[in-house]
Amino acid sequence: MKVMDSCLLIFFTLLLTPVHSFTDGNNSQNSTRHHDYCVLGAGPAGLQMGNFLSRCQRDYIILERNSGPGSFFKIYPRHRKLISINKIYTGRRNREFNLRHDWNSLLSDKPDLLFQRVSQELYPDADDFPKYLSMYEKELGLKVQYGVDIGKIRASDSASPRGRGYILADQHGLEYTCSVLLVGTGMWDPQKVQFEGSDLVEGYESIPVNPEEYKDQAVLILGKGNSAFETAQSILGRASRVHLYSPNPVRLAWQTHYVGDLRAVNNELLDTYQLKSLDGLVEGGLEEIAIIRNNEDEEKHSGIQKKRSSRKKEKRVQLYLTLAELLEHPVGKNSSNVTATNLPVYHNDNFSLRRPYDRVIRCLGFRFNFSIFDGSARPPSNEGTRGRFPGVTAWYEGRGTPGLFVLGAAAHSRDYRSSAGGFIHGFRYTVRAVHKVLEQRYHSIPWPATRISVIQLQSWLLRRVNEASGPYQMFGVLGDIILLRGSQCEYLEEFPIQALPQFPSLSGYKLSKNGFLVLILQYGLNRTDSLGPGRAESEWTRAWRSSFLHPVLYYYDTLPTENDMRHRPAGWPLPRPKAVHHMVEDFLTEWDGPISHSQPLRRFLEHCLHTDLRAFYAESCFRYSLTHRKPPLFCRQGYLRNHGVIGNSQLWHHAREAGLMPGDQEFASPDMDPLLPNYLNRAGASVSSSMNLDF
Amino acid sequence: MNDLRLRLEAMEVLIFLVILLLCSKSGQCTRNATKVIVHTADHFYEKMLSGKTCFVYFGNRVNPTISLFIEQLEKSADALEDYGISVAKVNCTNEHVAKYCTGEKLMKKAYLFRGGDVLKSFDIDTVFDVNAIVSHVLFTVLFDEVRYVHTTAELQAVETAAKGKTDVVLGHVQVLGLPEHRALMETAFVYGAKYQFVLTTGGPVLKNMGVEDPSSLAAGLWFLHCKGESQSPHADACQHTALRRPLTTLHIYTFLQLMEAPLVSEASVDPSEVKVLHSHLQVPLLFLFSQPHTLALDRVTAQTLAWRLRGQVGLVLIHRESPDVKTPLEYNAAYKLQGEGSEVKYLALNNLEEVIELFTDGRLPEEDYDDEEEGYENWATLDVLDDEVAESVYRDRGQSPDMDAVTELTSDTFHSAVAESVHLVVLFYVKWDAVSMAFMQSYIEVSILLEDAEISDVELAVVDCGEWTDVCSSQQISYFPTVRLYRPHEPAQIYRGMLGTESMKRFIMLSRLVSPFPLFTPEEVTSFLEGDLFQKHSAIAPVPVLGLFSSITDPGISVFNDAANALRGETMVGLFADRRAEQWGVEYSVTLPAILVSRGPEGQTEAHSLYLSTPEQLVTHIQKAQLHTFPELTVENLPQYLELKKPLLLLFVGAEDSGQESRGALEEMRSLLNQGRLDRYMPCWIHLGRTPAGKAVLEAYLGSLPILPALVLSHVSTGEVFHYPAGSPLMVQPILQWLQRVDDREELPAGVIGEEKWEPPVPFFDFLGVMDQEVPGYASQRSPKTKSSLSEREHKENRDTQRGICSSSERQFLHGAQNSNESPTTKPPVAQHSEL
Repeated sequence: MKVMDSCLLIFFTLLLTPVHSFTDGNNSQNSTRHHDYCVLGAGPAGLQMGNFLSRCQRDYIILERNSGPGSFFKIYPRHRKLISINKIYTGRRNREFNLRHDWNSLLSDKPDLLFQRVSQELYPDADDFPKYLSMYEKELGLKVQYGVDIGKIRASDSASPRGRGYILADQHGLEYTCSVLLVGTGMWDPQKVQFEGSDLVEGYESIPVNPEEYKDQAVLILGKGNSAFETAQSILGRASRVHLYSPNPVRLAWQTHYVGDLRAVNNELLDTYQLKSLDGLVEGGLEEIAIIRNNEDEEKHSGIQKKRSSRKKEKRVQLYLTLAELLEHPVGKNSSNVTATNLPVYHNDNFSLRRPYDRVIRCLGFRFNFSIFDGSARPPSNEGTRGRFPGVTAWYEGRGTPGLFVLGAAAHSRDYRSSAGGFIHGFRYTVRAVHKVLEQRYHSIPWPATRISVIQLQSWLLRRVNEASGPYQMFGVLGDIILLRGSQCEYLEEFPIQALPQFPSLSGYKLSKNGFLVLILQYGLNRTDSLGPGRAESEWTRAWRSSFLHPVLYYYDTLPTENDMRHRPAGWPLPRPKAVHHMVEDFLTEWDGPISHSQPLRRFLEHCLHTDLRAFYAESCFRYSLTHRKPPLFCRQGYLRNHGVIGNSQLWHHAREAGLMPGDQEFASPDMDPLLPNYLNRAGASVSSSMNLDF
Repeated sequence: MNDLRLRLEAMEVLIFLVILLLCSKSGQCTRNATKVIVHTADHFYEKMLSGKTCFVYFGNRVNPTISLFIEQLEKSADALEDYGISVAKVNCTNEHVAKYCTGEKLMKKAYLFRGGDVLKSFDIDTVFDVNAIVSHVLFTVLFDEVRYVHTTAELQAVETAAKGKTDVVLGHVQVLGLPEHRALMETAFVYGAKYQFVLTTGGPVLKNMGVEDPSSLAAGLWFLHCKGESQSPHADACQHTALRRPLTTLHIYTFLQLMEAPLVSEASVDPSEVKVLHSHLQVPLLFLFSQPHTLALDRVTAQTLAWRLRGQVGLVLIHRESPDVKTPLEYNAAYKLQGEGSEVKYLALNNLEEVIELFTDGRLPEEDYDDEEEGYENWATLDVLDDEVAESVYRDRGQSPDMDAVTELTSDTFHSAVAESVHLVVLFYVKWDAVSMAFMQSYIEVSILLEDAEISDVELAVVDCGEWTDVCSSQQISYFPTVRLYRPHEPAQIYRGMLGTESMKRFIMLSRLVSPFPLFTPEEVTSFLEGDLFQKHSAIAPVPVLGLFSSITDPGISVFNDAANALRGETMVGLFADRRAEQWGVEYSVTLPAILVSRGPEGQTEAHSLYLSTPEQLVTHIQKAQLHTFPELTVENLPQYLELKKPLLLLFVGAEDSGQESRGALEEMRSLLNQGRLDRYMPCWIHLGRTPAGKAVLEAYLGSLPILPALVLSHVSTGEVFHYPAGSPLMVQPILQWLQRVDDREELPAGVIGEEKWEPPVPFFDFLGVMDQEVPGYASQRSPKTKSSLSEREHKENRDTQRGICSSSERQFLHGAQNSNESPTTKPPVAQHSEL
């Protein structure tokens, strides 16, 4: 709702101040192919950004090479089952909360524009996703141009009339120019590893998906991710042996809390492996292996075998895994010169992968397509992700490519293997954050903020931790920033916290000397046995040892520098703050317990704000107002503005029993004092309390 | 220890003895109450000859530092007496002891004598208090028994020498002279013959004991089990057990006794019957149950466990076959915490680690040593709610509010409800906000009251913003609780009054009236001003306001309408726009447009001309005009009067004695007021019967409850409170004189208004501090050297392991692949993979 407001505001500011470079662009326009914003790709990220641009009535175009949105999902996942959770029944009607358990819908103002309209399945069919995207695009009236295949992107000179921008050329040589380029092209290029015989390997992108084609075949799959296991799972019932080979052991999503790791939906092979049912996992390097083909020639070496095998031979290719260094020199395609010494089993008679395979399949994931970017417009590849992702800043702008932002799965380098930025349920929020950055940078519309009283802060924080889906899905990445300004504060939602050092310029807010708070959700840092005893913490004083997702507040009195960010404690999302507060994990993710959650939170806020934040009944405020030069903040902001909390006798009774209100007084009864003369009542008529008095 | 070389040289001693011999005369030590012997010079010399150990200070009490030291010295006399060491002081003002009572060192040193020898001299800075005195003195006395080590090699030498002969007690103190040092030395004094005591002050030795960061450990103690070790020339370290409690004499004694206790005791009775040394030493006991056929194995298990828990937990093996053992078979372990009354708890444990964790993970209540206990209590009290609203709502949690009395709106029903109701009052709340929930009770009360009054055109509804977040966002609710009144085709009206039953009800009742209410005839005007027109409302809106305009076309009417609309629910506002309105202008001698503020049939009616330009100004003007000149202050109306920011001239009237005297006082005040002599003050009164909170105010002002009625002048701005003399009659002249005296600063304030800053009532729970303490380094910024972020480091490690598996020789590769093939995600049993 807040975004909506800011957009309206934008609209008016634009009307009033047409000096902006973005608007005067339209005058000098002689072709329609200039846009302030070009969005590349009509996938979930592109359309999500389209929604925000459209709502703010920005000049934008979404360019898509295929004829419909979300074409990635028309091919992938190959076995057509999405593993993103589509949980329709949560027992709650809070739409924001429900997005915590809806991993497929995109964000919009339309409350019913949800994925559940196209599928009711918990793990939906992949074909439903493009359907949903089509619906999303149509109902929001997004401007998408299909069939435009951008093959080359270059940066325009900053000396050009529009300043630095980007020029995109399509398959017909038509050029599109734009000031800001938003790349939502996803991750399309299969990740490959070069080794001897890698040409004998089939790719996930092209393998047959009919299990019958794997009947009685021994299959070696390179990779241990979800695509590898998905493939394995589909052929388990037909293949004879399925072995998964890659450098690292399997990481289980339910242990690591990272949705990119192996999901339990796909892990049937773990079962058959551990129950010794012919399947298995092996660790080893990929670059050092070689796959060699054993053809008929080899049978010469043993005459007896030859006779027997040649009888039943039906041109079945046998692929052996070996080690590159066992091959003295490169083996040709026909591998006629393969000898027994080239095979590991010759050296080690119980080598695990000594049996030949009928197929070797590569399931190593995907990489970003860097090739369409000219050197002037190409973001560098990110080292931490083995070069698969483009390197981006904490606000998703390409490093060294100002005005070019990377959205969606390709922006995952920021939270690779930790949070959900590479997945729809995560990047729909980062896209929104990027949009807020754009609004501030190009239209001077500051980050939407709500101004609230610090007395209300506790309730607001509890509301956010109990419903907000952005910080919940993008844990450790997006956090709410609360700027403290004396008795008031500004509440900004879902800021990319890695960009804190640049907060003022990105958000358009200055910090005050009172400092600020950051609210994020994070998993515990001490990863213990996920299902073992002691996995959950319930004592609030030990909240920092919580291992499940729980809210954490960081208080800083000054803005952390980039240096502070770099040297933050190992495993922490933020540098060491002035004070920190962990809210103890909750089994139901309902953080509203008065003792375990509310009061510790209040005390932390009191510490940060140096003030008493307790609430008082009007009677207490009355007392404090007359006996103190300044009553507590709660009384100043409520009672003294005629908005005190009166309560009732039962509540007062409780408070007195608890020793929190003076209890030695008796309650006034309305007719206890008939002696005072009538006129006095009128003279001092107190509007309310005397209304029933009869004297 | 180099200091120990500081013994007096033989020459000096000789001279000293000569002096002693020359001057000695017999005399008794005069004892004062503190056991410090005050020596005359003669006594001193005599003492020296007795051969006893004596700690002596020479000086005269001239400055505060010395006095403090003398105090500590006196205290130490008691403690050192137990060790046969006497403490003495020589007053050099009266006595003269050669060498010690002269020279620069005088007063800055204290000396430890044994016989005629000075064992050591101490700077009084070093022996600054009892602990320092006792620890240093004992350390000097035990110089030969307590070995000081600094390097690992030195420790090894001690261990090698002790092997097979005696156990070693290694103590570590970072700083000498602290209580820990004293405790250690006192123990050494007692057990010096039994164990070899070793002292270190940090450094490499601690690393041997498994201390990661020696600088973080202020003090520690380890028992090195060397006696049981076979004598061997090898430099193997003896097994050791750490004392995991603070270094106090008691803890060390207990610990040493535990070390002597058998590692595992065996018993054939039920756990609750078991009596072993540990139970006397207040140490928890762990029981394991053994079957005859597994006894040998169970003993090994028990031994292993006992080693790991040594010093913390006593281990008892229970022979289950004994008929006295009644424990059900489903349990294989039990534990009993320290303390007389603690019960035996039974468990079924699967592996050793679980048991270890049970005792080391802090899941059991810690041993209650003093500071820990204090901390525990401290945080236990923190779990008590200290917010009166939160606590009272929490205490009421058993009673769920009667939500049937109100309509619970949802996203689906909200908009239709707004469209369909004549007056829809909506309370927006969140259930974790105590104020919301406290007010909810009042709100429900209002709903029931309205129902009882058969008012049907008002509907009371609630929206739970915790669930219907979209409704609350679209209504831009930024404050909980928020109450709004919706009428079809009109903007919602926000309720800004007190969050209580009466105020809320009054608001609803008044809001049902059109504001301003149009009047058409002079008769209606009179009836309106006298409260007859709206009899039902005159009780709740006792001060109606009437706008008088001479013409319906007056441009001021729209401003007035806006203001009246803003005051809807708060004030009853009428409007008479007619030529005939002039007659009231004449009557009250104001020019129109004007407002009339009526205070009922018997009260006055005041007139104010209107010349305000904006509705907001007009609202403020009307609100001010409604205020009384001599109000009775109540909880609900105080804020309006404090707004005026005048000194309060407060008359407190009692609940019981509101007879003649109070009435008289009030009348006097009124006549003062009418004379216009109180303009600088806000005269008001509080009826302690109706407003009991006033009692606490009066007490806070004066320190006690005075005789009522009491007149008080309260300057909230300067913080001074003046009390009208209790004896003086509350009459016009004396009151005026008193006020004058206050003005002339001739009266002393009777009390002061607090200037409390309202700091946090309780310190917050410092998680960072806890992290730093429990996991040092966990919350520290990384040093610039280790640049790589965690993920990068992980990545690097992965690459390294890959290389390890695949790069080197063929044989290794094959092994590598083999092993990794067999390595599942959980750790393999170590024994089977020892080749790794």
